[in-house]
Amino acid sequence: MATDLAPPPVTASPAPARGKRLSPRTALLRYRWLYLMLVPGLAYFAIFKYLPMRGLTIAFQDFVPFLGYGGSEWVGVKHFEELFTGPDFGRLLGNTLILAVLTVFFAFPAPIVVALLLNELRLNVLKRTIQSLIYIPHFLSWTIVASLTYLLFSVDYGVIANWIHGIVGGAKVDYVAQADWFRPIIVMQTLWKSTGWGTIIYLAALAGVNPVLYEAARIDGAGRWRQFWHVTLPAIRPTIVVMAILTSGHLLDSSFEQIWLMTNSLNRSVADVFDTFVYYIGITQGGYSYATAVGLFKGVAGVLLIFGCNWLAKRLGQRGLF
Amino acid sequence: MNTTPHRLLAGAVAITAAFVTAACSAGDEPGPGNELTVMAPLFGTAPDPGGEMQQAVEKLAGKKLKITWVPNAEYGDKTNVTLASDRIPDLMVIQDQKSPSFVKAAEAGAFWDLTDKLDKYPNLKPRNEQTRLNSSTNGRNFGVYRVRPLLRSAVLLRKDWLDRLGLDLPKTTDDLYEVARAFTEKDPDGNGKKDTYGLIIPKWPTPVFNASSPYNAVDVWFGAPNGFGMRDGRLVPEFDTPEFFAANRYLKKMIDEGLVNPDYATLDTGKWNDPFVQGKGGIIIDVNVRATQLYGLLREKYPDDYTGMLAMTGNLSRPDGQKFSLPFLGYNGIIAISKQHIRTEEQLDDTLRALDRLASEDGAILLTNGIEGRNFKVEDGYAVLINEDDPAVKTINNDVDWGFIQLGTTASVGVGGDAYERKPASEAERDNLRLRKELEELDLRTAVHDPTLPYVSPTLTAKGATLHPIVSDARIKYLAGEITEGQLKDEIKRWYDSGGGQVVAEFQEMVTRGGS
Repeated sequence: MATDLAPPPVTASPAPARGKRLSPRTALLRYRWLYLMLVPGLAYFAIFKYLPMRGLTIAFQDFVPFLGYGGSEWVGVKHFEELFTGPDFGRLLGNTLILAVLTVFFAFPAPIVVALLLNELRLNVLKRTIQSLIYIPHFLSWTIVASLTYLLFSVDYGVIANWIHGIVGGAKVDYVAQADWFRPIIVMQTLWKSTGWGTIIYLAALAGVNPVLYEAARIDGAGRWRQFWHVTLPAIRPTIVVMAILTSGHLLDSSFEQIWLMTNSLNRSVADVFDTFVYYIGITQGGYSYATAVGLFKGVAGVLLIFGCNWLAKRLGQRGLF
Repeated sequence: MNTTPHRLLAGAVAITAAFVTAACSAGDEPGPGNELTVMAPLFGTAPDPGGEMQQAVEKLAGKKLKITWVPNAEYGDKTNVTLASDRIPDLMVIQDQKSPSFVKAAEAGAFWDLTDKLDKYPNLKPRNEQTRLNSSTNGRNFGVYRVRPLLRSAVLLRKDWLDRLGLDLPKTTDDLYEVARAFTEKDPDGNGKKDTYGLIIPKWPTPVFNASSPYNAVDVWFGAPNGFGMRDGRLVPEFDTPEFFAANRYLKKMIDEGLVNPDYATLDTGKWNDPFVQGKGGIIIDVNVRATQLYGLLREKYPDDYTGMLAMTGNLSRPDGQKFSLPFLGYNGIIAISKQHIRTEEQLDDTLRALDRLASEDGAILLTNGIEGRNFKVEDGYAVLINEDDPAVKTINNDVDWGFIQLGTTASVGVGGDAYERKPASEAERDNLRLRKELEELDLRTAVHDPTLPYVSPTLTAKGATLHPIVSDARIKYLAGEITEGQLKDEIKRWYDSGGGQVVAEFQEMVTRGGS
C-alpha cells in the first residue's frame, strides 16, 4: 500500500515527465488511496450539510409539517417580502451587525495580543500555567457564564456591582438589565470565555517561526521591538488573515445561547438578533417557513461576506483562502 | 459475591437483547392494537415502564402504554419538533393548544376533533362550560382538557412580619401599598437595618402580554380587562384602557419608592421564593399553590416557627372598593388524540373508552395518589403516605408525583373532588388548603373572563413574534422610568399599527359570531 503513494520510479514510465499533468483517470488510479481517504470527509459534508438544504424549500412554502414538503402550499418569496418590509428587519440587522462588529473589533485581536505576550514570556512554567488557566472558561457553558454574570452584576446582590457602587457612588446601576450595558457585557463575556482558547492557533504559528530569523535580526542589531515588528508579526500574518476571513463568514452568527440568556424586557431592543428571532419564530411559534427564510437570508449574506473578505485580502496583497 | 466480567457481559447482552426485542415489537405493530403511544411531560426521573405504577395504570386503562416522558423544561420545544415530524404519538399532552404549531397541525387534520364526542363519555364530559370553551381551539375541542382550579390567583405574605408590625391582611390595593411600605421602611424582621422590601416580582419568562403575571393581576384588580374585554360593544386589549394606566401608575409608585425588589426586570422565576424565604421581601402575587412550596421551604429553614410565617389572601379590591378577580384557564393543557395510527371511529371510541376509565374516580385517585393500601391510605378524607421506607413504594411515589399525574384529565386536587389531598403536616397548612377553596369560590364571583380565549387570531399567529414583546417590554420600561406615560401610549399605538389592530378586529369578529 505504501508503495502506491510513492512517486512512480522514473524508469517505469519516462513519458509523463515532471510537471506534465496526468490525465484524470490515471491520477485517480494512481492516488486511489488518497482519494479513498477523502471519502469520509465528502460524505460528512454531503449528508450533514448538503442534504439538509433540501429543507430550504420550505422557505418558499407555507409549510405545515402534517402536509409535508409535497402537500404544503407554495407561496414564492412571500416570507422574504415580509422579512425585508417588516418592522423587525432593520432592528435585527442593526443589532446583529453592531454586535458582530464589536466582537470582531475586541474579540478578534485579543487572542493575538495575548499570544504575543505569552510568547515573550521567558519562564516556561509561568507561560504554561497562564495558558492552562485561560483555557478553562472555554469549557464552561453559556448558562454558567450567564449565571455568573447575574451573580456578579445583579443590582440586588451583585458582588462587583456593589463594589463599583461603593467606589463610584451615585445611583445604583443595573448592569444586567440596562440596554446601554447589554453590548459591553456581551463583549466582556465573549472576551472572558474565548480569548484563551483562541490563543492556541497563534501560539502554534509562533512556535513555527524559525529561530534563525531572530538570530539574524539580533546580529543586525534589532532590539526586541524590531524583532517583533519584522520577524514575529510577518510570520503569523497569514494565520491572522485566514482567521479573519473565516470569522467574516460567521459575522451574522450571533452567539445564540449567550444572548438568549442575557435578554430581558429592558434590553430586548438592542438584544434581538437574527438567531434569537429565528428561534422564537421557528421553535416557539411554529413559524417554520418564515424562520427558514430568515435563516436562508443569513446564510446567503454569510457566503457573500466570505467572498468579499477573500477578495479584499487578495487586493491587499495577502494570500486569500481560495 | 463478586461480579465477574463474564457476568457483566452476559448482563449487557441480555439488556441489549431486551432493547432490540422491545424496539422490534414496537415497530412491528402498525395499528394501535392494544398499545397506545403517549407523550407526556416529566418533572423528575422517568417512571419505570415495567413498574408497579405503570402496570396499575395499564390495567385500569385496558391498554399497553408506551410512554415517552419529556422533561417539562423542554416540553414546548419538543412538542413543536414532534409535530413537525412524522411520528406523532397516539396520545399527546399539548400544553398550549393555541400554539401556532398545534393549531396548524390540528387544522390540517392531524388530530381528532372531539367536540361532539366527549358528551358520550361520563367522565370525559366537560364539567365546566367556561373551561370547555377556554380549552377549545376556535370553539372545537381537539382534546380532553386536564382540569385545574378555575381561579388560583392569591397574595402571599410573611405573616410574622405582619404580626410584628401589627398589620392586617390587605383587602384593597391601597392596603397592599401600605403593607409593602411598612415591610420596606419599618424593619419588619427587627434586625435594626433597613434591608427589606415589600413586593417580589420576577422577570416574566414569556414576552406574551397576557400571561397571568403579577402585572396582569394588578391590571385586573384595577378593572382592566383580562387580556381582552368588551367596552361599549367594542373589543379592547387589556392595555388600551384607563384602568391599565392606573394600575401601572400604582406599580411605578411602588417601584420608585423602593418597595419592590430592585432586580424585578431580571430575577429568575426559579428564584422567586428565595427572597421571601431568606427574609428580604415579604409579598408575592401568584397562584395559591405556591403556598405549598413556601411552607416546604420555610419548614426547612425554620422547622420550629414556620407555621406562623405565611399568610394568604385572594384578589384585592381597587381603591373605590370594587373588586375584580383574575381567573385562570381552568385547565392545564389538553390530551389530544392523533390520527396517525388511530384511523377509524371505532379505534377512536376504543381509545376514548380507555381515557374515560382513567378519568373515572378510581382513575383520578390512581393517577394523583397512587395505589391505595400500597403507598397511601385514606385518613379524614386526606391521603396519608405509608410504607415510605420501602424502596418499591418510593418508586411508586416518584412515578405518581413526577410522572403519571400528567396523564390525568381529572387528576387535580381541589376540583371535582375525585382525588385526595395529601394530608399536610401542620394545622396551619390544612387551614391554608381550606382557605384556598374558600377564596376560589369567593373570587370566582368577581372573575373577569377573557372572551377571546377559545379563539385563535391568524394575524397574532403570524406576527406574534413581533407583536407580543411590544407592550410587555414597554410596560417594564415605563415602570423602570426609561419611558414616559406618553411614550408608553406611543408603543401601544405601534402595537396597533404593527398588526395589533387586525388582531383585535379578528377577535372581535369571532367573539361576536361566537355569541359570548
